[in-house]
Amino acid sequence: MKYMLMMNTMRAGAGVPDWSQRDLQAHVAFMMRLNKELHESGELASAEGLSFPDQAKLVRAGSDGLPVTDGVFPESKEFLAGFWIIDVDAPERAYAIAGRISAAPGPGGAPLNMPIEVRPVMSAPPREML
Amino acid sequence: MKYILLMSGTKAGVDGYHKWSQKDVEAHMTVLRSISQELSKSGEFVATQGLADPNEAKCVRGEKSGVPVTDGIFPESKEFLLGYWIVDVASPDRAYAIASRISAAPGPGGVPTNMPIEVRGFAEHRQSER
Repeated sequence: MKYMLMMNTMRAGAGVPDWSQRDLQAHVAFMMRLNKELHESGELASAEGLSFPDQAKLVRAGSDGLPVTDGVFPESKEFLAGFWIIDVDAPERAYAIAGRISAAPGPGGAPLNMPIEVRPVMSAPPREML
Repeated sequence: MKYILLMSGTKAGVDGYHKWSQKDVEAHMTVLRSISQELSKSGEFVATQGLADPNEAKCVRGEKSGVPVTDGIFPESKEFLLGYWIVDVASPDRAYAIASRISAAPGPGGVPTNMPIEVRGFAEHRQSER
């Protein structure tokens, strides 16, 4: 069963973290190690980090069908910083992986304990949508 | 360059969607499918997924013990992710144009939903590290 693990960041911390080079390297090394491990266990479908929200656009088709883009990111408390799609045997395994991601090291090596949202992925559109 | 197009919605929107007529749902899904097929043919398609109902979402946060804590209750938020498309396009404008077409997918009575679609670039430096 597939799950999407979403790492959301508070808008206040939207820029490059004000961390030391060493702390940043430890964080990135942790994530790379985890991804490698999930790849080797065959559980990693994909993982991506998103660019900073100042580069985000909001597109809404107008009544003429033409795209309307907003340069300004809409007011929101949180935004998606990155995600993992994993294919695991049980929901508990998805929660365990999310727990490890949450515990990735931050400044001074202390675990960040970021909340990670775990959502099942629809394997196919629900019958009523076909 | 890769972009993720995020379709988010509110609980009210999802509740409303469940009341659409079969015909309206089919027309909506037909348009989304044809957009995906077109993107496959143009070589711009990378992935698309719909996420399961937010009632099934969990929030995980690693404790100091490293044991994940799961919340049965979805965190209070105005909007949540319904699904996404990942596209690989030659320019940001192309990503916005695709997002606009998704936004213009028909809703009840064939009227475009004009849902806002968030367009986010990938963090290329993180990609190259993997």
